[in-house]
Amino acid sequence: MNQQLLTSLSEQYASTNHWAVLWPEIALALLAVLVLLVDLFTGKVKALAVPLVAIVGQIAVLFALLFKASCEFEGSGVLFSGMILPSNLSEVMRIFFVLASILVSWLGMVYLKKQYLPRMEFYCLTLLVTAAMMLLAQSANFVMLFVALETVTIGFYVLVSYGRNSAFSLEGGLKYLVLGGTSTAILLFGIVLLYGIGGNPNLPAHTTDSLNFAALEGFLAANADNFIAKIGVVLVICGICFKIGAVPFQIWIPDVYQGAPTPVTAFLAVSSKAAGFIVLINLVMGPFAPMKELTVPLLSAIAVVTILFGNLTAIGQRNVKRVIGLSGVAHAGYLLLGVVALCKGIELGAWAIIFYLFTYLFGSFAVFGVMAQVAGVDDENQDVDHYIDLARRQPFLAGVLAIGLGSLAGIPPLAGFIGKVFLFIVAFQAELYTLLGAAITGVVISIYYYFGWIREAYYKPQSWPTDKPVQPMQVCVGHKVALAALAIVTVLLGFYQGAFGSGF
Amino acid sequence: MNPLELLATILLIPLASAAIICLFLRRGGYAAAAVSVVAAFGIMCLSFYFLFNWDGLAVTGALPWLELGDYKFELGFLFNYEAATMLAVVAFIGFWIHVFSVGYMDDDKDKGRFFGGLSIFMFSMLGIVLADNLFMIFIFWELVGFSSYMLIAHYWDKDFAAAASKKAFIVNRIGDFGFLVGIAWAYHYYGTANISEITAIIQVDPSKTVTGIGLLLMCGFVGKSAQFPLQVWLTDAMAGPTPVSALIHAATMVAAGIYFMVRIFFLLTPETLEWIMWSGAIMTSFAGFCALGQNDIKKSLAYSTLAHLGYMATAIGLGFPGLAIMHMAMHACFKATLFLCSGSLIHACHHEQDMFKMGGLAKKMPITFIAFFVATLSICAVPFTAGYYSKDTIIASAWGLFAHGDGTQYAWAFGLTMLGALLTALYMGRMLFVVFFGQPNSEKASHAKESSLWMTLPLIVLGWGLSLGAGWFVYDWIWAGGAMDAMLPTDVAHFMVNGFSEAAPGWKGAHHIYEEAHAPWVEWLSYGCIAGGLIFCWFFYGRGPSADRLQTKAPGLYHVFERHGWFDNIYDAYVAKVQQPFANFISLLDVAVIGGLLVRGSAAVAGLVGMVSRSLHVGNIHAYVFWFLAGVVLFSAFALGLL
Repeated sequence: MNQQLLTSLSEQYASTNHWAVLWPEIALALLAVLVLLVDLFTGKVKALAVPLVAIVGQIAVLFALLFKASCEFEGSGVLFSGMILPSNLSEVMRIFFVLASILVSWLGMVYLKKQYLPRMEFYCLTLLVTAAMMLLAQSANFVMLFVALETVTIGFYVLVSYGRNSAFSLEGGLKYLVLGGTSTAILLFGIVLLYGIGGNPNLPAHTTDSLNFAALEGFLAANADNFIAKIGVVLVICGICFKIGAVPFQIWIPDVYQGAPTPVTAFLAVSSKAAGFIVLINLVMGPFAPMKELTVPLLSAIAVVTILFGNLTAIGQRNVKRVIGLSGVAHAGYLLLGVVALCKGIELGAWAIIFYLFTYLFGSFAVFGVMAQVAGVDDENQDVDHYIDLARRQPFLAGVLAIGLGSLAGIPPLAGFIGKVFLFIVAFQAELYTLLGAAITGVVISIYYYFGWIREAYYKPQSWPTDKPVQPMQVCVGHKVALAALAIVTVLLGFYQGAFGSGF
Repeated sequence: MNPLELLATILLIPLASAAIICLFLRRGGYAAAAVSVVAAFGIMCLSFYFLFNWDGLAVTGALPWLELGDYKFELGFLFNYEAATMLAVVAFIGFWIHVFSVGYMDDDKDKGRFFGGLSIFMFSMLGIVLADNLFMIFIFWELVGFSSYMLIAHYWDKDFAAAASKKAFIVNRIGDFGFLVGIAWAYHYYGTANISEITAIIQVDPSKTVTGIGLLLMCGFVGKSAQFPLQVWLTDAMAGPTPVSALIHAATMVAAGIYFMVRIFFLLTPETLEWIMWSGAIMTSFAGFCALGQNDIKKSLAYSTLAHLGYMATAIGLGFPGLAIMHMAMHACFKATLFLCSGSLIHACHHEQDMFKMGGLAKKMPITFIAFFVATLSICAVPFTAGYYSKDTIIASAWGLFAHGDGTQYAWAFGLTMLGALLTALYMGRMLFVVFFGQPNSEKASHAKESSLWMTLPLIVLGWGLSLGAGWFVYDWIWAGGAMDAMLPTDVAHFMVNGFSEAAPGWKGAHHIYEEAHAPWVEWLSYGCIAGGLIFCWFFYGRGPSADRLQTKAPGLYHVFERHGWFDNIYDAYVAKVQQPFANFISLLDVAVIGGLLVRGSAAVAGLVGMVSRSLHVGNIHAYVFWFLAGVVLFSAFALGLL
């Protein structure tokens, strides 16, 4: 009997377990273990060896992904009994997450050099969180989605409060824990409602596997007006809004971004937001597609409010981490334009979002890279005033900062401009004129605070006499190369979009 | 490498050079010069490799740049006979002027900026030569304008250089405004901005040419080639370094206007052509008179450039675009030589530019003298020198059209261009005898020495070689079995060699010495003008005088020439009396309404809202959780249709 059960189980469920498909996630997890071991056995050189192993390992994974990316889809279809569904999008997002993770590790090096903190755990957690994000991008079942999402979130609870010598970091960690827990509860409640209603045998097209995206889509298509289903969908969207930082679930962002160590802030701003968006894309293209009567107006309203709220609130901020956080809220709003267009059936919306995410990655990391260099020991205390005269103290950093911020603001010919153009094109195709108006208003407002920052670095003379002479800052060559690469990619993507351009 | 990629490589080499200089070698001195010269050498080699392998058929095509669904931005190329000639001119003369610049700029501190500027110029000029649509041409058109602006103001700390660059830029913008409107109209009317496609449309239906479009597009030519009424900027532009004057303001950029008119020749209606002919023909003699009123050697040469651009315009107006291109090429050879010679003189005389402070330099600078002498013969169109082949043909063609009975306006064109030829002999003879003969008239000139090899080698190549023999390209027996036919427009070469009776269609009225002459006196009159002008100068101005005899004998007349028709004063008055008050009014509107009400007002509103929304972040975790709950309630209410 038991034997029979085992056989049937393995035939039914294990037959689709192609572990080779998940090699990048497994590689990252193994790399995390390797980092642990390196930390144990290297002794004195561990300060150098740990980040080196982490970064080199991830670069190897990145290259393997880049060159193997095309031959990965042969076995596409349902994997792991419907838990995992790789797609072109998720393939690109894997590259995105590894790239972001490499850059976070690099920022971590800069940050940890200034702090008395353990080093190994940072890289270890970054790797695991990244692996979980990659799984998240491919999940095709709410169980998988929830598990991956929680892995990400729990990793972040630790990372946000990583600077344990700083009250701000601990406070930020606590806030993220409580609010993250709340949002998880909301999300889980939404999933449970969908599970319950989808399995209700009294309804048409009910299913026994209502957590599966495909099955749920079939159910929702037949029951688009169901009360419980609607509530479930809305609650799931609420949970994701927390991840992407859309109003009104953006309220945690300034405090947590300020408190978190700069590399973690970057990680939250780029990877975590991108993870939220890939989940949202998968949902609105998959199970929630029949609900577009509900999702289109809801997400449109969220987008307008998010864009305006993020930009207006960012205006008066002096702390640059808060500025970046609130501007990130606005960027989430722009990206929602693409999601709404996607809901309305503009397939290109997904690629516009992903291209925008890439430009956002390069621009943001250029800015965060400069922030990590400029920041003192008090990581949470980074004011716009600290950038006064940066162009004279360290013209290279000021140049990278200007390019990064210019790209975030969407100034031609930088990458951010083309990213916004792509998003606005799909929004235009989807006839979202109100949203376009709000987005353009938002962009105009955003130029004020982005350029205010650049102005401090370039034009503003110090208004009070300095006691100490201006000391030129030292940036080592390796960091310079990385920053220069980010700036150059930001410029080049503005001129040539390669496959993304032709995808349009 | 296919032809398109080769052309793209030629186009991108100078851009790469400019980028390298701009990023790494701004204070690089000779390193920057080396990068720029090597780039120019690369352009020359690849261009000639391309030209030798070219089969004479038009090359068209596009490299994709940005694709947005159905809409594509493309880097389009159109390579045909006028592009071939222009490419040869830009690549070859450009390279030698780069070489000359190394010697000329040896005492300059800002070599990086100068050579970077030259590379940007080469990039933008090649872009104009190769582009296949009006939009791309316009972009590169503005880029040459920018590089010209940058290089005229090379000596930016001198007020006159800064003012001259500004003037050149602004005057060109006036022309470019018309140009841009013309492009927009053409795009609207034909539905495409691609030159080949518009050509096809007009071939199907010749009535689709529009005089308005032609005249508007002509505005770009009028600005860039400094034709009436926008001719005022070119002489001031001589404030830039002399190699720049040679390359940009004599050989290539100013001829880009002519080149563009040839490219869109099919678009021009007879009315447009007649306008171009009149403006060109008048310019040939008007600028010739002005050249007589200048003591500055470069300014005098600049007026000569104006006059010769007038010849090219006349050729277009007569309906012979190939002839205009040919004269552009010949003019590029001898005028570049003349400017380079003047550069060599100026460099030797420690930046003295007044001809009447030079004198007696033939013995001190023999290589420069020979080059200048050959180029003088060439520009005066002495038989079998380069200028003879193109310039004399233009004059004869004007007479030919009249004799053929096409209208009296061609007789006027003939008269004006013939007068221009006489004036050419006069101002060139004046320059030659004043500068090179007699005795030195200043301390600086008496210490002059022949320039270094960097400068004399280009003079030998361009002066001794091309100013003399560039016209011989028409005889394909000299040039490797016709492999070099691309150097000159084939219809012109065919006509030159085979004469009237076998000339290609369209050459109905052209007369020349080699054909069974209907009016041999045209040729003899031309020779008489050359000889008479030179001999007159020999006796009137004398050898190496220290003052202009015309100025002392007839100061009134000289003053008229010197002020070149008071155009500058008229324009200045217009700007001061009309434009400035209007601009002040607009400025007031800007400050009060736009700046005060709209900008400050909206900023205040945004700041106020921001202050409120910022105060929502109270930092209290309970409050934040309530935000979440409110969000859930709000969204659910929305989902249920309660909102």
